[in-house]
Amino acid sequence: MDKLVIAGRQFTSRLLIGTGKFSSNKAMAQAIEASGAQIVTVALRRVDITNKDDDMLSAIDREKYLLLPNTSGARTADEAIRLSHLARAATGINWVKLEVTPDPYYLLPDPIETLKAAEILVKEGFIVLPYINADPILSKKLQDVGTATVMPLASPIGSNQGLKTRSAIEIIIEQANVPVVVDAGLGLPSHAAEAMEMGADAVLVNTAIATAVEPAKMAEAFKLAVMAGRTAYLSGAAAESKKANASSPLTGFLRNE
Amino acid sequence: MGLLKINGKDQVFPDNKIPATIADLLRQLGVDSTTVVAELDGQIIERAKFPTINLYDGQSIELVRFVPGG
Repeated sequence: MDKLVIAGRQFTSRLLIGTGKFSSNKAMAQAIEASGAQIVTVALRRVDITNKDDDMLSAIDREKYLLLPNTSGARTADEAIRLSHLARAATGINWVKLEVTPDPYYLLPDPIETLKAAEILVKEGFIVLPYINADPILSKKLQDVGTATVMPLASPIGSNQGLKTRSAIEIIIEQANVPVVVDAGLGLPSHAAEAMEMGADAVLVNTAIATAVEPAKMAEAFKLAVMAGRTAYLSGAAAESKKANASSPLTGFLRNE
Repeated sequence: MGLLKINGKDQVFPDNKIPATIADLLRQLGVDSTTVVAELDGQIIERAKFPTINLYDGQSIELVRFVPGG
């Protein structure tokens, strides 16, 4: 499979994986391994002083995986910028998945605050991967201010509804000059394959893997689906038609007419 | 009375005994300093400076770390 390039860095996998909702650090580590992903998202939260459970980072091999901190929980550009600064201090790297989600019910991203934060963070030297609604105009504006990707949502986070925003994402892909990573709502490997067949550069999956009965097995299924979808895209899909077109010859039948 | 605001909550230290440094505070709380990021009165403090940054009565400190997320 051809390589994914984000901000000049090459990746052989086109599946990004989130680390939320796994039943244990062990299950998370096994799923990450099985997914073949090279980019792994994490969140930043206050230390719970009354309940200091073990550190999740110990389960992730930092040599092998690029840690991509998100700004989840941010409701404004200022909050997202503050989280980005903290994440950079924690990792020493400047990659950030920018999320600004003021709406608690659908967790839809705020386009205005996201663009505002992206512009500032890019100027500060961050590699910004913004999570957005599937809005082609916003995607263009974000790439114009220098984001490394755009990450349009397929459907609301964790909803497993699949590619509800298909036609808008098609326009985003057509116009993009940065990688398009379809994020959020992909519930099945077939959803991921569909996004990749359309020409998405990568997908990010978390809930569908983490909450499967066997997360590592589902991670492998997503890995295969992403590879299949990408390979199909590169193959140039055959045209669709309304009528049947016989695959077998229409001559030499064993009947007399 | 010694007081620090830790992650938004006031914490009183008896006999005015505020931990001397961020490193001391983390030790006292039993928090592994290698995985924590600290923000003291809105300023991010590099981990290397945890043992040298002094804490004073009334300061506000945020202690954050990575958790699972998508």
